[in-house]
Amino acid sequence: MKLRQYITALILTISLAPLHAQLIKERMQDNRENREANYAKWGPTSDRDGMGFVVRAGYVLGGTSPMPLPAEIRKINEFSPKGGFSLGVDGYKYFSTRWGVSAGLRFFMQGMHTGADVKNYSMAIVMGEDVVKGRFTGTDITDTRMTGFTIPLTATYRIGARWTFNLGPYLSYWIYRDFNGEVFNGYLRENSPTGQKIEIGADNPASYDFSDDMRHVSWGMEFCADYRIRKHFNVFGLLDWGMNDVFKRDFETITFSLFPLYATIGMAYYY
Amino acid sequence: MKKIFFGLSLFAAFSVSSCIQDEPSNSECDIEQARVESPDLDILFFNPNDAVKDVPSSKTSIVFYVREDFTDSTLLETLPLRFKITPGATITPANGSPQNFRDREVTYTVTSEDKIWNRTYRVRFIHTIPLKTDLGFENFLPEKHNRFNEWFEVSEAGNAINQWATGNPGFAISKSSATPEEYPTIPWTENTVQGNAVKLETRNTGSFGVMVNMRIAAGNLFIGTFDVANALKDPMVATRFGLPFNKKPLRFEGYYKFRPGEKFQNRKGTIIEGRVDEPDLYAVLYKNTDENGQPVTLKGDDVLTHPNIVALARVPNPVHDFDNWTFFNLDFDYQQPFDRTVADTYGYNLAVVFTSSIEGASFEGAVGSTLLIDEVRVICEE
Repeated sequence: MKLRQYITALILTISLAPLHAQLIKERMQDNRENREANYAKWGPTSDRDGMGFVVRAGYVLGGTSPMPLPAEIRKINEFSPKGGFSLGVDGYKYFSTRWGVSAGLRFFMQGMHTGADVKNYSMAIVMGEDVVKGRFTGTDITDTRMTGFTIPLTATYRIGARWTFNLGPYLSYWIYRDFNGEVFNGYLRENSPTGQKIEIGADNPASYDFSDDMRHVSWGMEFCADYRIRKHFNVFGLLDWGMNDVFKRDFETITFSLFPLYATIGMAYYY
Repeated sequence: MKKIFFGLSLFAAFSVSSCIQDEPSNSECDIEQARVESPDLDILFFNPNDAVKDVPSSKTSIVFYVREDFTDSTLLETLPLRFKITPGATITPANGSPQNFRDREVTYTVTSEDKIWNRTYRVRFIHTIPLKTDLGFENFLPEKHNRFNEWFEVSEAGNAINQWATGNPGFAISKSSATPEEYPTIPWTENTVQGNAVKLETRNTGSFGVMVNMRIAAGNLFIGTFDVANALKDPMVATRFGLPFNKKPLRFEGYYKFRPGEKFQNRKGTIIEGRVDEPDLYAVLYKNTDENGQPVTLKGDDVLTHPNIVALARVPNPVHDFDNWTFFNLDFDYQQPFDRTVADTYGYNLAVVFTSSIEGASFEGAVGSTLLIDEVRVICEE
């Protein structure tokens, strides 16, 4: 009884298999055609005509930060990005349906305002040729701004008809850069933790300006995600993660490196 | 779109959560206070306050002044000292352990909690040395970093008495680029009355001074101590006037030359047309404890007004003459009766104060105002 049932099932399966395979094949064919159609609908499809331009406009948010935060920073009291707009154009070229490269030029404004409680934080108060150096324990407020151009060079991968990812290095040139702040509510140990203590009250904060110690050229990695909301029209988010210290190599007042980490969100028009 | 924001917020959350690390161990290694723990404090000290020393962060020498009539030196052979040190730091020899201070100093080493830093302190006990009152300004030496000079007197036994203080350490913070000659208080050797004199000149503190709203630094020289830690935060309390004294001062005399600077400015740096700068020269005797026996030190904001003031001698209407020395000779004006028993236990402080700008403590005055002083004496009842 049982055996007969098995045999019947087996015969049925074997006889239906070609039909089944045929069905899968057809569905895949449909999918591919659909995808091709979809890709064609949302953008460049073949390696021959898969090139063009993307004009991007966005708003920059982020901060300049040590990574990871050093132990000297005990508490972040406040943080607000002081970004600005970003405007640029990328040229892209696809080599296949999914893969391509992209390069561009983008103007940007970056910046932030942050306040932190620090302990034994190495710093200097510089006023012309007069300098007080040492270790500060207390409250610090920092403002920084950078304005300049970025040249990204990225690999492009189209993960779907509407999603595109870019990843690659970038090079930035800061035309304008500013890094200043003040310390208060604490004390400075002159030169080292064993130096003489100088109390710095909230009424008379001591300010610093390290703008001229900042680099002009910075590089890092860029990741960008585009989503097509209409034909020729994207929303995007991109992240520029700086890989070198914002300060020049010979700058030793801040003992740890600070890296720019800024995101841009915006809209793009592509041809 | 939602996905993008989701991605960004994930990223933001990641970057924020990577944040605050564990608190690092302390790097500081200070003795903040030293206290003599002994049942015989009244044998050692005139005043129990003398058994406690607050140690400024700039000092690594701690001196306890014992009574002039203290003779039982064996007491010093096993004397325990209790130190208040930076949290987490360690001290050797052990805190509170009895040490032998008889005719020797004891060296203590404080090591920071992170074990990277250490400071060495020298502690000694000496008999109270009376202040010198014949003040010729002959003795001065560069401080340890050679930035400016410090004045001292010499006792009959040949020991240095560090009774003088200046605001120079404060100026050093604001003008690290200044040469020793550019400091507000410097030695003076030309056409003196005798030996060396002192020149006090009101100086510009530069852009740093502007930043902290302390645009000028008057030259000053006074008996007392300068608390440099407070020089930026609360400069009025940084000048701690007066040191213990055991005599009845009668007269205050000496020589000076004064020339006002050209432009008088207020704290904001605004030039006050027509106002002429004045120097200030005075001597104050005051009771150095309050009614509860707590120590009292007069500072920049109360040195001429405090109710503890017993007697005052202040040069009235100083002469503006920079060519010739002007001699002054004033009687102390006693506002309270002098108590010999208080004096015998060093219960009074004497302050002698000179400044090139009378409102210098408020950072008002004329840059260039110059006061020379020489051969000053506080004449006391024998």
